[in-house]
Amino acid sequence: MMLRTALLSLVLALLGWASASWLTNDFQVWTAEGARRLAVVDRPVPAPAAMLAGPGLTEASLPEWLARPGQVTIVAFFYTRCTTVCTALGSGFQQLQQAIAASPDDGVRLLTISFDPAHDDAARLQQYALQWSADPRHWAVATVPDAGQLQRLLDAFQVVVITDGLGGYEHNAALLIVDERGRLVRIFDDTDGDAALAYARSMVRRGSAG
Amino acid sequence: MMSALLGAILLLVMVLPPIRLATEASMTAHMLVQYTSLLLAGGLLIDGLPARWLRAVQRWNELGIAGLVGSSLALAVLMVPRVLDLALTDMRVECLKLLALVLTGAALRLSWRRAGVVVQVFFLGNVLPMMVVVGTLYQDAATRVCNAYRLDDQQDLGLALVWAAAGVLTLWLLRLGMRRHDVASAA
Repeated sequence: MMLRTALLSLVLALLGWASASWLTNDFQVWTAEGARRLAVVDRPVPAPAAMLAGPGLTEASLPEWLARPGQVTIVAFFYTRCTTVCTALGSGFQQLQQAIAASPDDGVRLLTISFDPAHDDAARLQQYALQWSADPRHWAVATVPDAGQLQRLLDAFQVVVITDGLGGYEHNAALLIVDERGRLVRIFDDTDGDAALAYARSMVRRGSAG
Repeated sequence: MMSALLGAILLLVMVLPPIRLATEASMTAHMLVQYTSLLLAGGLLIDGLPARWLRAVQRWNELGIAGLVGSSLALAVLMVPRVLDLALTDMRVECLKLLALVLTGAALRLSWRRAGVVVQVFFLGNVLPMMVVVGTLYQDAATRVCNAYRLDDQQDLGLALVWAAAGVLTLWLLRLGMRRHDVASAA
């Protein structure tokens, strides 16, 4: 009797271990966000077809805009009404822009995409760009007006937007590094601007060297 | 038999799409209401199974050890934050989660009495500290552990998990005390 119990316990333990191991990518990640960040390193995600709109961007295709030889883009999602995380994001991008402007040949660009096109029209985005003195040579501010295209983009990059119960949104804000072929290859914390920029620059250097 | 029917109804209600989605709309309800209801449903469904089957199962469950080992592992896996996010987007994970909860409820019911105090202490000593640690982390974390849920929801759940652990411990101690009392007065 005891032997059978021990055997069944062992089988259940193995089952538990196997499911935990699958769930956590061999005990590396515990959250969906962690799994997302790990996954793009292994399998870069091409930007899906989507038309951008924003100051200086009329009918620009996102994959085409991103895929430019020798250029790496740091992408972040936001909405202009956001006063919490996105304020930090705005000032973070401002600092990144200063660093990029100081050595403009680095081939690093910035792109912030609003996931709230219903509210963030051309005028609002223009106002946002002015507020943070976004220089269109380094930092593009845009949205994807088509709801279907926007959703496919959010799904592909695993950007999860939920309502915050106060009329705004919460979202997994992060810095997304997109390579010269328009593929999402790496994700950094939104507070990790320095690391993101250093990584993006090293990608450009590696790209031009190879 | 009545309780098995109740368990079946509870299970059906909880997996009914509108109710399933409503409970999963909040992290707190997802883990507290849905998890608890399905564990309960699993425990109640046992009463509908033929005694012969149960005896056969119990031959593999001496002292309730297999059932409690399986239950504590299942609960540990189901408390990984990624499960909550994946269950919303991946139907396979959702089905496995629901099934694991019902089976865990059944296993707990089948094993608890057989286990005796020592094995029960071992089980509770595993599961309750885990709930407290997870609950404390959820309350203190400055970032969200689930992309689909809000930070305040996560903090509510954290607090509730700590209280739930304290509640289970209190109930268990009370029952232990009562049983001691019965034994003492019978002697």
